Amino acid sequence: MFKTTGFISFILRRFTGVVLALYLLLHIWVIGAATQGAEAFNRRMEAVSTPVFHILEILLLAAVIYHAFDGIRLLIINNFRVTDKRKSMWYAAFAIAALLTVVGGLPILFYVLGINF
Amino acid sequence: MRFFKLQRYTAIALVAFMALHMIVVHYPPGHLDFSRVVDRLGNPVWKVIDIAFLGTVLLHALLGLYDAIIDWDKVTPFRRVLAGALIVIGLVAFAYGAYTVISFSPAALAALR
Repeated sequence: MFKTTGFISFILRRFTGVVLALYLLLHIWVIGAATQGAEAFNRRMEAVSTPVFHILEILLLAAVIYHAFDGIRLLIINNFRVTDKRKSMWYAAFAIAALLTVVGGLPILFYVLGINF
Repeated sequence: MRFFKLQRYTAIALVAFMALHMIVVHYPPGHLDFSRVVDRLGNPVWKVIDIAFLGTVLLHALLGLYDAIIDWDKVTPFRRVLAGALIVIGLVAFAYGAYTVISFSPAALAALR
C-alpha cells in the first residue's frame, strides 16, 4: 500500500496542500503591508527578497505545480473513464510538474545568481 | 452544494487564476515594489480579478485544510468547532486581502514620491 502511486500521490497532494494553505495566510499578511502605505510595503518586500527567500520560492513553485497537475489528474480520472490509466497518468503529471518547475525555477535561480540573458 | 463539488469547482478556477497570477506578477523574476504592483492594479479589472482569485483560493485552501485535519481521528468530534474557526479565518483573511488589493492605488504611490 505504502509504495503505490495512489498512496504517494495522496501523501504528496495533502502535504503540498497543507503547506500551500499555510503559506497563503502568510502571503496575505506579507502583502498586507500595502494597507500601511507604499513605504511599508516596499520595506517588507525588501525583507523577503533575500536569496534564501528566492530559493524557497522555487520550492513553493514546485509545490504549486505538483498540486495543480495531480489535481488535474484526479479531475480527469473522476470525470472520464480512465481509471485504469491512473498510474501512468500520475507519472505523467509528476514528469510535467518536474519539467515546469525547472522551466519556471531557472529564471528565479538566474535572477538570484545575477545572471542576465 | 456539497463541499466536495465546491472543492473541485474552485480547483478548476484556480488552474486559470494561478497561471495568470504567476505569469503576470512573478515573471520575469525581479524586485517587486509598490509602483510595479500599482502599474497593474491601476486598472480596476485587475482589482476585480485579484479579489475573485483571493476568494477562490481561500475557499479551496480552507476546505482542503478542513478535510486534512478531520482525517485525524482525535479532531473528528470537534469538526463543527474547526469549521467555525476556519470560516472566521477565511472571512478575516478575505476582508484583509481585499482591503490590501484596494490599497494599491496611485494616490498611495504619490504619497511616497
